[in-house]
Amino acid sequence: MEVQKEAQRIMTLSVWKMYNSRLQRGGLRLHRSLQLSLVMRSAREVYLSAKLEEDEEGRLGPQPCLGEEGAGQPPLQPAAAASPGPPAPEERAAPADRGNAPGAVDPEPMETQDSSGDAPPAAPAPGAGRRPARGVSLPPPAKASRKRRSSSLDKPGAAEAGLVPTKKARLEAEEEEGERQPQGQDGPFPSLAKVLQTRFSGMLRGGPPKGPEPTPGCRPGDGVLSILVRAVVAF
Amino acid sequence: MKIHKRSSALRKMKCFPCQFSNTIKSAQSNTSALMSASFFDQADIISTVEFNHSGELLATGDKGGRVVIFQQEQENKIQSLSRGEYNVYSTFQSHEPEFDYLKSLEIEEKINKIRWLPQKNAAQFLLSTNDKTIKLWKISERDKRPEGYNLKEEDGRYRDPSTVTTLRVPIFRPMDLMVEASPRRIFANAHTYHINSISINSDYETYLSADDLRINLWHLEITDRSFNIVDIKPANMEELTEVITAAEFHPNSCNTFVYSSSKGTIRLCDMRASALCDRHSKLFEEPEDPSNRSFFSEIISSISDVKFSHSGRYMMTRDYLSVKIWDLNMENRPVETYQVHEYLRSKLCSLYENDCIFDKFECCWNGSDSVVMTGSYNNFFRMFDRNTKRDITLEASRENNKPRTVLKPRKVCASGKRKKDEISVDSLDFNKKILHTAWHPKENIIAVATTNNLYIFQDKVN
Repeated sequence: MEVQKEAQRIMTLSVWKMYNSRLQRGGLRLHRSLQLSLVMRSAREVYLSAKLEEDEEGRLGPQPCLGEEGAGQPPLQPAAAASPGPPAPEERAAPADRGNAPGAVDPEPMETQDSSGDAPPAAPAPGAGRRPARGVSLPPPAKASRKRRSSSLDKPGAAEAGLVPTKKARLEAEEEEGERQPQGQDGPFPSLAKVLQTRFSGMLRGGPPKGPEPTPGCRPGDGVLSILVRAVVAF
Repeated sequence: MKIHKRSSALRKMKCFPCQFSNTIKSAQSNTSALMSASFFDQADIISTVEFNHSGELLATGDKGGRVVIFQQEQENKIQSLSRGEYNVYSTFQSHEPEFDYLKSLEIEEKINKIRWLPQKNAAQFLLSTNDKTIKLWKISERDKRPEGYNLKEEDGRYRDPSTVTTLRVPIFRPMDLMVEASPRRIFANAHTYHINSISINSDYETYLSADDLRINLWHLEITDRSFNIVDIKPANMEELTEVITAAEFHPNSCNTFVYSSSKGTIRLCDMRASALCDRHSKLFEEPEDPSNRSFFSEIISSISDVKFSHSGRYMMTRDYLSVKIWDLNMENRPVETYQVHEYLRSKLCSLYENDCIFDKFECCWNGSDSVVMTGSYNNFFRMFDRNTKRDITLEASRENNKPRTVLKPRKVCASGKRKKDEISVDSLDFNKKILHTAWHPKENIIAVATTNNLYIFQDKVN
């Protein structure tokens, strides 16, 4: 559990640094980007293995989560982000790439970073991390992430990663949406959760009903990783 | 020279504060307790330090694109005050900030490396590089000027030639010494990624420049083309796993060079084998210790500097926590490993947060290859004597040292009870780092660069 949280924290920190490095004078540093993505990857591996262990122990039912198969790639808008946390910059960065997000959005992440303190909580982070990958509709990375997913279809966590469709989806989503709203407001990234809700209302797979546990995601790192890789490529 | 002797005998010669700016800017306050507030102009941050081949000249480059050269005074034979002191000899602006319009990126003017050419005539030559462009500078002295022309009027206008009736040969008269720096060659547009190293070949005609993915070979006389000798860029950038972090020519074999990678490996290449040296002749790699695995194992194994010994038999590499000495004849492990600041291993997470884990420390050999030196945090620097296996930690700071005082050895207390005069890990200042050090090629004089100050130390001559 601790390990999971730590891994999560390091992942979000890396994303934050990745975003920050774009703003640096002299442009994106290839070596730095690579190092950040390496840390991300090892944090993701630790997170995933810790998650799988835990789930095997806990024997939870298959939990639908934010599924990648959730259809087309809705365009991201720097919508109702009152106080986005560190993962949100990555989200912003994605639309920024496509010229949607004006510079005005950029200062926000900086402010929130200070206010949210050193340890960004786990809950919306994986979801947020994953979103940009879907949002930015570039075919090659989507293909890449699809490829990576298929390799883990046989793993026990596949169902809850949303790889295997579950018939319970709709009903649960409605229920959980109701649940989620109060939860979302408690969380440190309330607006983020709100955006997630509004965007994927029909497809939202709830996070675990249990409070502190982060949204199940075998894929959060993937989404962010492909962003990172894309960042490396773009440079 | 033995280490224990040196420890009592190293004393400060001079400290050069940056003289370029007097503005004081307040630091950002949202840093952790580990970092101190810093008050100086960013442009004054020293980014490279290098002695020339004779040791008479010492060049420093800074983040503002300037090069400052210090010259050693001639020995004072009467007083025999040990060796001469270093004074500012020349200052010039080497690189200016540029803008890459195609990529919409600013190109920093920070000087990444300076390398001296051996002296062939009265002038001195050095190569300086920023992220994209390498320049060859000629530094020459002028201490005489011709006087006695009869071609001009008093006010400076040229006289009407018909009024000139005598032929006067001007005579050289002494003048105040003027040191001029002029760019003789500009080697540009050959690197897509950021240049991290330059190294002059032992043939003194060619040199290499290395960026993250490629190494190019240049001729000093030819600026409009270079040969690519190493290219590790993958066809699909998404498969990128390592980058080049440093490269250097062998001091004696003009066909041999090495380059280090972010994965902790060093490759030795022979240019006689093929035009493109993608396949190494030797691969130096030490298997990772599985007990030390953490999130950050991969990034702390990245090599930040590689230096051949003067003899050419050994090479030294610096990664985040240690210095390793490799025998060129043995590829599977280093022959010596020195821990620079092992007490930081448990702090890697904090160092990741404050970005210190990305610091690129350099290392250097002394003239006889018996001692190696590298920097650390809190303005500490470390020396390791390869023969006696003793090591010492010293501090470069003005607070404790007046000129001519002997440096006191320092000790960091990793855990448990702190003895008197020891410094605990938690009180180390991670804003004060020594990344660049240089050792005089012949004498025991060292140059140590803190963030924006240059310290020159020498050992006491009894």
